[in-house]
Amino acid sequence: MSCHAEFLRVALGNDETLPRAVLHGDPTQLDLAPRQRALIELVQLVTTAPWSLSREHRVRWHVLDDGDLVHAVALSAYFGHLNRIADAVAVPLDYAVAIAAPPIDHARTPFARAPRVVTTAAILELAHRPATAAAIAAWRDYVLAKPEPLLPSMRAQIAAWNEGWLGAATPTDGDGELYRLVERVALAPWQLDDDAFAPLRAHGWSEAALFDACATASSTNAWMRIDVALRALAQ
Amino acid sequence: MSLAYVPHASSQGRLRDVYDAMLARPLPPVYRPAHGGAPGIIVAHSLDAELIPKVFGTSSTLNGAGPLAWPERELVNATTSQLNQCLY
Repeated sequence: MSCHAEFLRVALGNDETLPRAVLHGDPTQLDLAPRQRALIELVQLVTTAPWSLSREHRVRWHVLDDGDLVHAVALSAYFGHLNRIADAVAVPLDYAVAIAAPPIDHARTPFARAPRVVTTAAILELAHRPATAAAIAAWRDYVLAKPEPLLPSMRAQIAAWNEGWLGAATPTDGDGELYRLVERVALAPWQLDDDAFAPLRAHGWSEAALFDACATASSTNAWMRIDVALRALAQ
Repeated sequence: MSLAYVPHASSQGRLRDVYDAMLARPLPPVYRPAHGGAPGIIVAHSLDAELIPKVFGTSSTLNGAGPLAWPERELVNATTSQLNQCLY
């Protein structure tokens, strides 16, 4: 989170107020521009409960037009993928930042699971951003079709679990060590510590196979988050 | 131990080519780490070199384009990363 707070600071002309509040406080308590406030509220729901978005939110966030909404939903969901991979790999921060991030709360409650399936048809569609839609289609084709190290059927199962958790489809049962790893990637990426990988490593899983599981989980989570959020905005 | 990764300096073959291609993209200076190699978020994908252009090809359509303005895009990115408690 540190590097994008830093990029936000630079993008705001080196003003630290908003990035500091994003990292350490409640940015909605600031005297925000209406578009900033709407974007923060939208991102909070896209990240924590995309199925709960609704037509009422579109009215409330009238300062964001349809193109803004699709852009923000896709960007936030995309960053959910990057966040999950960064946590799985624990890649060190390699930018100088003006505002240090708070310590990670590894005990924080995992994200909620969708209480129901979102059945509405989307009013807003990713096709409104043709370049983004094409890029995600190429990303999806690669992830779901590659023959190894996981079997494509295992990746399809990972996708199905994510569909259920996000409200894209009826939840499917899961169990076992792969399910528990994928569950952490999707619902509690801040818990992707040694213990998350140890059981599968003990069964001889390679680093490449573990990465495949995490990347499939985070990728499918991002794509389905976009789909659910855009359909929920029509309910 | 978290998942392994291959830093730019020790990369070889296809992964090195992908890293170099990522570095050759036009990017504002703020996005270039001082170490001069591929940023850590790209390196985090190193166990699947072919995935890197797929993921970051998507990034260029979202981070490098509107209608959201640059500070708005970074507000989305920073807020999402805070909610996910991203280490990076």
